[in-house]
Amino acid sequence: MTGTLAYVGQRTLLIAFTALAVSSIVFIGIHQLPGDAFVSERLRPSQQAALLHQFGLDRPLLVQYRDFISNLVLRGDLGESIQSRGTKITPLVLREATVSAEVGGAALVFTIGLGLMFGVFGAMRQNSWIDYLLTTLSVVGYSMPSFVIATFLLLVFGIWLENLTGGSFFYGIGWTGTYGNLAEISVPAFALGFPYASFVARLTRASMLEIIRQDYIRTARAKGLVEQIVIIRHALRNALIPVITILGPLVIGIITGSVVIENIFGIPGLGKEFVTSILNRDYNITVGVFTGYAALIGLANLAVDLLYPVLDPRIRY
Amino acid sequence: MATQPIAIPAELVAAPLAREQVGLWTDAWRRLRRNRLALVATVYLTLLVLVALVAIVHTPYSTSHQGVAPTYAPPSSAHPLGADASGRDILSRLMVGAQISLVVGLMTQAVVLAVGVPLGLIAGYFRGWIDTVLSFMISVFYGIPDILVAMILIVILGKPGLDKIIIAIAATRWMDMARLTRGQTLSLREREFIEASRASGARTAKILFGHLLPNALGPIIVQVTLGIPAAILFEAFLSFLGIGVPPPTPSWGSMAAEGIHSMRIAPHIVLAPAIALSLTLMAFNFLGDGLRDALDPRQKR
Repeated sequence: MTGTLAYVGQRTLLIAFTALAVSSIVFIGIHQLPGDAFVSERLRPSQQAALLHQFGLDRPLLVQYRDFISNLVLRGDLGESIQSRGTKITPLVLREATVSAEVGGAALVFTIGLGLMFGVFGAMRQNSWIDYLLTTLSVVGYSMPSFVIATFLLLVFGIWLENLTGGSFFYGIGWTGTYGNLAEISVPAFALGFPYASFVARLTRASMLEIIRQDYIRTARAKGLVEQIVIIRHALRNALIPVITILGPLVIGIITGSVVIENIFGIPGLGKEFVTSILNRDYNITVGVFTGYAALIGLANLAVDLLYPVLDPRIRY
Repeated sequence: MATQPIAIPAELVAAPLAREQVGLWTDAWRRLRRNRLALVATVYLTLLVLVALVAIVHTPYSTSHQGVAPTYAPPSSAHPLGADASGRDILSRLMVGAQISLVVGLMTQAVVLAVGVPLGLIAGYFRGWIDTVLSFMISVFYGIPDILVAMILIVILGKPGLDKIIIAIAATRWMDMARLTRGQTLSLREREFIEASRASGARTAKILFGHLLPNALGPIIVQVTLGIPAAILFEAFLSFLGIGVPPPTPSWGSMAAEGIHSMRIAPHIVLAPAIALSLTLMAFNFLGDGLRDALDPRQKR
């Protein structure tokens, strides 16, 4: 138990350092072009100089960096937005990170749930038409970019369903409040998780096919266990191990995909803010969101690593 | 008990004793030809390249002139894929978009090859601290979502353009190639023919590029074939988000992004680039899978 705690502490420290390193690189990279932030405002040179001075962007890069780091480390302060003046970035990033985590978590549920279900079904009915159908579907799912899937979903749920039900029931872009509701989350989460679900399904099918031919499964059947129990309690548990090993890359993939999905579905998360800040040249937010992403990815990976010993008792920290 | 005389079939008597000797490439080509999906993919991709080449000299309509058709016009005989929100011909834009996609896919892989292969060869052959540094860099790059790295790079590189996009995508893809080449080199460097060439006094560069590289070529080709769709998808992502190829140059990603806004009244605007993109990605993936099976029949997926 203390071993686990020490491990978590160590990892959290590492995450903090990684986030700091990543934000430093981005900060220095982006501040090579200080005037750019106000380009779209068409200011006179004197006004631009005044604005640069107000945000401290006219100081030497190293001084700016020193202030940025000391504010971040001592107060957790990521500074202020350049465009919408007065907006503090730290609370903004924290709120958006929870929204992104919510969508990502829901997508992960879809990915694992659908993937395992399809994989097990395919393996149980190997070489039947349903197996071929699922295998083909997974190749298609893996080749289709998530924004294409999102487009199809919007067409089906947003437009055809609306026409079908006479406008009484449909899916709209954007959602209510900060966190949306279950119905509003499910469609983007599906679009985000589907490509990876196909991948999980392929993996599960392959490992299930290998495992159901092993002796201990025959023993379980010979004991007279019901088929469902044999599959779920004996076979699936071991078939899960290869799936667990790809959880880390999977989480990173889902976070990457969320950048696009959040922009299509108008979800107020980190991904939408990131793109908006780049398009608006609000570089303070860009740096802040990147820091938020680094922390989010670190925490997600930590959660995955803590899951390993639960699912596979041979692993211990 | 007397042994029964075994009747030898006539065609075996006439057949030569040994199997016909064929090289790796002939053998791979034969195996690839039997893979129907990979063949269909090759045909599709050949057509796509032809379309992209034709688009250099001729498109049915100008891709940047607005109002060559009524806005939101549905598919008709004059405009087979209809027109977009600014009244531009979608087929013409799709053709030029194919050009952009292919250029990004191929050029990115060229950069990835130029960076990843030498790095992988050197790290795998010399090992030691070079290998440690490279492996560390690879693991760092794998830990950060590639799309974020590419977007930040585009910002830092300044004014967006095709060259910036290619550099940004290559910066997130080089480590796949470096890792693969390193792995191949690690196992090849222990083989006798490398020892023999070292013993006969070959220069290091000759060993690396004359002996190691040709033997690692199979997996590298497969990696390139699978890297092209990844780069195409990446460019589409970036253009879709508005950070990629600057308008009015049509990219499949930016076309889809424009189409999303008018999906309600004219779904064909978003469907055309989305379907073209999906088909192209699928074709490259099928071809890559087919090549992998053909070049390395022992390896099972």
